[in-house]
Formats: sequence, structure tokens, C-alpha cells
Amino acid sequence: MAQKPKVAITWLGACGGCDMAVVDLDAGLLDVADRLDIVLWPVALDFKYKDVEALADCSLALAIISGCVRNDEHLEIARLLRQKAGLVLALGACACFGGTPGLANFSSRQAILDFVYRDSPTVENPEGTIPQEKSLVNGHTLTLPAFHEKVRALRQVIAVDYFLPGCPPPPQLISQAINAVLAGDLPPKGSALAPRRALCDVCPRNRKKPARLEITQIRQIHEVETDPDYCFLEEGILCMGPATRSGCGETCISNNMPCRGCFGPVAGVEDAGTKHLSALASILRTEQYFDLAQLVDTIPDPAGFFYRFTQPVSILGKAALKMHPLDKERP
Amino acid sequence: MENFNPRIVCFSCKFGWGYLDPHKDSLKGVTHWVPVACSGKIDAAHILEAFSKGADGVLVLVCPEGDCHLQDGNFKTEAKVFLLQRILPSWGLDSRRLRVIAAMNPDGEKIPALVRDLAAQIAHLGPARLFADSPAAGQEAEPAAVRGSFSASW
Repeated sequence: MAQKPKVAITWLGACGGCDMAVVDLDAGLLDVADRLDIVLWPVALDFKYKDVEALADCSLALAIISGCVRNDEHLEIARLLRQKAGLVLALGACACFGGTPGLANFSSRQAILDFVYRDSPTVENPEGTIPQEKSLVNGHTLTLPAFHEKVRALRQVIAVDYFLPGCPPPPQLISQAINAVLAGDLPPKGSALAPRRALCDVCPRNRKKPARLEITQIRQIHEVETDPDYCFLEEGILCMGPATRSGCGETCISNNMPCRGCFGPVAGVEDAGTKHLSALASILRTEQYFDLAQLVDTIPDPAGFFYRFTQPVSILGKAALKMHPLDKERP
Repeated sequence: MENFNPRIVCFSCKFGWGYLDPHKDSLKGVTHWVPVACSGKIDAAHILEAFSKGADGVLVLVCPEGDCHLQDGNFKTEAKVFLLQRILPSWGLDSRRLRVIAAMNPDGEKIPALVRDLAAQIAHLGPARLFADSPAAGQEAEPAAVRGSFSASW
């Protein structure tokens, strides 16, 4: 019997939601485990990094990596798996675009450490202790991975073959992706293993969209009793659907929550935030030109809203990363 | 910063700005001028791209209200600029570095002066570097757009 293809599943700077999505394959997971040899999966199984280091280069059929890259451990594991795996799949919004952790790039490393360990109202830290890369405890040196200046998406530190966005990605797409790898039936490298069209194209609320959408007042979801069949934008609720890739299964939409954009931009778009911004700009309407500026002022945290999942891979996000070259950060 | 000369990228609508200038004399003094057919074509990404490639300020010249050759491209681009002005401070860029002017100047003779005017107004901010401008500075009560200061009859 031929040897089963080896697969590694790991998380970097992640919440574990993507791993839970893999677990959500449910009984399908047994089938996956039957056809694949899982060599690393820190969330679910007990393997050590040294077992992976001992493998021959390119001996893994696939490495499924979720989470962003924020510290030296993330970087090291990403590079190790790139070396050992024939294919690397970036799983989830954090690995694909930086995700919500990427919003930390609007602050500096120092500002984050200051707030978390000193200024936050719930912190009691009179000695001003902050984590150190090396500390001496009872004559032993303990180490922590270096905390980088900025969050990076996976493709900004290693070559990534395929992307599967989502926060988290739906189990059905994960299952399709694994089957596609096993069958060798894959699109060109660099593709996202998700539909190419925008969410509005498949949105069940689209049927009752007016011919000409106009937003005259921006409202939050909790301020409106929405009709489950009506387009959110028509009611003035900001929804990322026009500029977000479909494939998520419309779980938010069908639970009466507007799209937040976790599937990232549609195929061929570099900067998701500006596409959301342009889509919104085209449907804002005011009686007077002057009122337009006041209308946009009612959007809370515009930068966080437009770049909720894609800050590190956006135009200015990439420019900001260039100011902090990765190799200079490493000791 | 006395000798600092900000690099300004100017996007303008071809229908309203400079189309009567056969020799493009209005280009004189404007190093980075990008005329486009309808300001609605100016993408938010173009403006951010300009900043990421070293522009210190971006000037967007659109047609006045009701004068868009293609219905409402000027309105859409103004909305884009207003939204961009709200997100620039999060990137540590002063929102005064981005200006939109809704007027018309077929000869294009005013364009160099408008570029110089923006350059003069932001010179004290220094070169545009991400996360370098004070976040509060961009929130000052600077008019979001300049309009009505000159007529459409130029």
C-alpha cells in the first residue's frame, strides 16, 4: 500500500477558530485522518516541532497554516513548514491578509506594550515588568520569542501556494481544498480556493434590493429592526458585501448581521479597504454637497472598518511594513 | 522645514480642467499631473498609491456640483476623498495632505497655482511619512473641501 500523504496543520498568531473549523469537518475528519497522515497539529494532537524538523525537505504534501506572523516563533515555524512542505495553504483571514490582529499595525509595538503592561485601567504593575526575550530565573535562562514591530500576513514571510480566506473558513471549503490537493485537481498557484465573485452576487437579501441604492443616513445594526429579506445597505447599515469575496456560506447575512469582509477582496483586487470605500462612496447621497462630509463623519472608526481584516496587505500597510524590515528585527 | 518643497500629485478631470490648453502650458510647474476622463475614474487606491510612493500631498480637481459630464463622477470622488480624509490620520498622515477642489478651469492656468497653494499649506508638516504626523493634527477644523472660492466662469 502506498504511503499516505503527510499533512501538517498549525497555528501561528491565531485564535484557534480556524483549527475549530477543521474540527467542524465532523465525521469527515475521520475520512481525512484515514487518507492523510497528520504529522503536526498542535491544537488537537501531541507532536513536537523536532519531529517535523527530522523530516526530509518537501516530504509533506501539504502544510495548512492559520494565523498571522507577529513573533519569532511564528516566523520560525512558517519557514520550517515551507521548507518541509510541497504545498502551503494559508487558512483563514489572518494567514491570508493579517486578519483582525493586523489592526494592531495602526499602533506601534511600544504603544501596545505600554498599554497592555502599564496603562490599561485593569493593569496593576507597579514594577513596570514587561516580557523580556531572555530572563534569569533560579539560575536558568528562560526565553520568549521576539515580538515583532508589525503583524504580517503569511505570504509576507514565506511563499504561499494557495489561500483559503474566512474568519473562520467554512468547513465545506476546507474539505474541498483537502480533496483538491489529494486529487491533484488544483487551480494555478497563488489562487484562493474560494469563488471569485462578490458576496452581493449570491446574497439572499439581494432579491429585494432597490434599482438605485442610496444611503442618506448611516445606521448601526442595533439601531434598526431590519427586514431579513432586505439589503442592509438600503437601510443605511454598512455591509462589506459589494467588495468581499463570496464562499462564506452567507452565515452572517442569514443571521441578520452585515458582512464584515473576512473573505477579503474579490480576485484581482489588491487593496480591499479602498474597494469598500469606493463602493460606499458611490451610494452615499445627501441633499447638499456640504452634508456629505458630515455624513461620512458618522462612520465609527473608518480605518478599522474598511481594513478590518486586510490592514497588513493594503497599499499603505505594505508601505508601513517596509519601514520595519523583518531581518533587522531578528536578533 | 523652510526649504522643504512638498511633492504634490494632482489628479484632475479632463472635462473641467485644462482641456482648452492646446500646448499644455498649464503643465508648467506641475511635475506630477494626472488628468483623467472624469474625476469619477480616480480610484481611492490611486490616491493611497501616490502617498505610498512618496507624494507629500494629493490634490484632486473635480467639476462643480451639477456639471459632471458623466452624471455624478465628481460627487463620487468627493465622497471618496472625504472618506480617505477620515482614514489618513489612522495611518499617521495628516488629512490636510489630501485636498479636493470642486470648480472648473478649462484653460488650466490655475492648476499650477492650486498645486503651489497646497504645497505651501502643508510644507510645515514636512515629508509625508507613515505614522509620523500627529494624529490629532488631522482632526482640526480644516474645511474638508474647498469650494465656492472661485467661480465656474474662469
